[in-house]
This record gives sequence, structure tokens and C-alpha cells, in this order.
Amino acid sequence: MKKVMIIVVCGSGVAMAMHAAYKLKEYFDKEKIYDVHIDGSGNNELPGRIEAYDMVVSNAQVTVSTDKPVFSAIPLITGVGEEELVKQIIAKVREILAAKNS
Amino acid sequence: MVEEKESYELVIDEKIILVKEVIKDKEEIIRKLGGLLLANGFVKDTYTQAVYDRELVYPTGLKARVTGVAVPHTDTTHVIKPAVAIATLKNPVIFNGMGAPETEVSVDIVLMLAIHDPKQVVNVLRKVIFVIEDDDALKKLQAAKTKTEIKSIMQAHIQALTKKLG
Repeated sequence: MKKVMIIVVCGSGVAMAMHAAYKLKEYFDKEKIYDVHIDGSGNNELPGRIEAYDMVVSNAQVTVSTDKPVFSAIPLITGVGEEELVKQIIAKVREILAAKNS
Repeated sequence: MVEEKESYELVIDEKIILVKEVIKDKEEIIRKLGGLLLANGFVKDTYTQAVYDRELVYPTGLKARVTGVAVPHTDTTHVIKPAVAIATLKNPVIFNGMGAPETEVSVDIVLMLAIHDPKQVVNVLRKVIFVIEDDDALKKLQAAKTKTEIKSIMQAHIQALTKKLG
């Protein structure tokens, strides 16, 4: 089963990205979505790394231009709009999983 | 080359807490909390300027449900031992929004993170960050009148989460 590759990005200093990544993993586990791989990254490294990923979740402003889906990680930190964001991310992950494994 | 960092616990302590602090802008509180972290041996003397510089490029203002919270921090290279310096402010000041630097967030709680090795402290650090979505804990922090109260609120919050999450 091909996995959905997600990169969680923060400005620099990984604390916030780790928090967001852990939260996402917990939501995915709850939904029994196991074919996901999550990596963390600083914003500076993103342009060099983005190719290998299907989706970006970021709490820094994403400046690299891309067709890939980009989500804000902020709701995962403040809790404001978190449910809605997670619904969107899960829907997108399912979509990508279906496309990758069809 | 992977630097082996010494093993430490994340410190929350009265020595690095300010209550109902009167300040005029975000620079002032960054310098005050940075100064406390430096004076107490948690960070190098490059830390405060690095936090301030980073705040300009990657601002950390967060609009939580109860109030605005800022989480200024910087790279691990400036940190010696992990800690969270905390300030509640008498009057809110403006931080720019995380991920949206053109926006402004009115902040009255500042959590300054000094992280030397995120993997070592991730368990406790996560619980600290969880306070941002804990309406009850934020309200208690806003109402706190002493440094010891603030420390207790944070510890109680962390303990409650440890029961839930491990």
C-alpha cells in the first residue's frame, strides 16, 4: 500500500511542528488511517524537500509555489477550527491514498 | 555530526515567571523573559536577540479561544538547558500572527520556549503547548496573582494531561 507523505513545516525550531505532527498522527490512528508518513521540516528546507511529499501542513507562511495541497497547522495548536481542518485533511488523505493505490 | 545533548527535564519555575507585567511592546517582554532565562543559566547570550530576530520573520502570535498567546522561541543552538519562561501581561500587546505575519494578535500570555533538544522534552513540551487550547487553564493563568500560582496552574495542567495521554 503506497503511503501518503505529509510534511509538517514550521518557521525554524521544531517545537510547534512536532506538536502538530503528533496530533495529526493521533487523528489518523483514530480514523484507522495507517498508510501515512509524517516528517517535520523547517521552512528553509521545504523547497528542497517538497518533491517527495503529497501534502504540506505548515504553521509558517509557505512561500514555495506548489500544486500540492497546503494546510495551515495553526488550528492544531489553538484548537480554533481544528475539527474542520482535520476533516479536510482526512478527506484529502483518503483522496490521495485512493489515487496512489488505484 | 549529531551533537549529543545532555539529558535535562523541561523547567517551569518562579525564577523565570513574570505576573501581570507592565510592558509597552513585544520587544520588551521578549528581552525581559530572555534576560531571566540567561540569568538562570538556561540559554546562551545569543538567545534573546535570536528570539527577537525570529519573531520578526516567523511571528508566534496565536489567537486561542480565550485570549492571545505568544510562543516566541528560536533554534536549539542558543539553548543550554530546556525551560519555559512564562509571563502574563497587565495590558495586552501586539504580536504578529503565526503563519500570517501581516495580521496582529492581542496577546496577554507569553510562553517563551527554550528547547535544547526537542526529542528529549517532546512529551512535556507537547503538554505545555496544549495549554493554548485549554480555555480553563488560560483563564486561570490570566487571573493568577503570583508566580507560584502560575507555576502550579501549569503543573496541574501537565499532570492532568499526563493522566490522559501518558
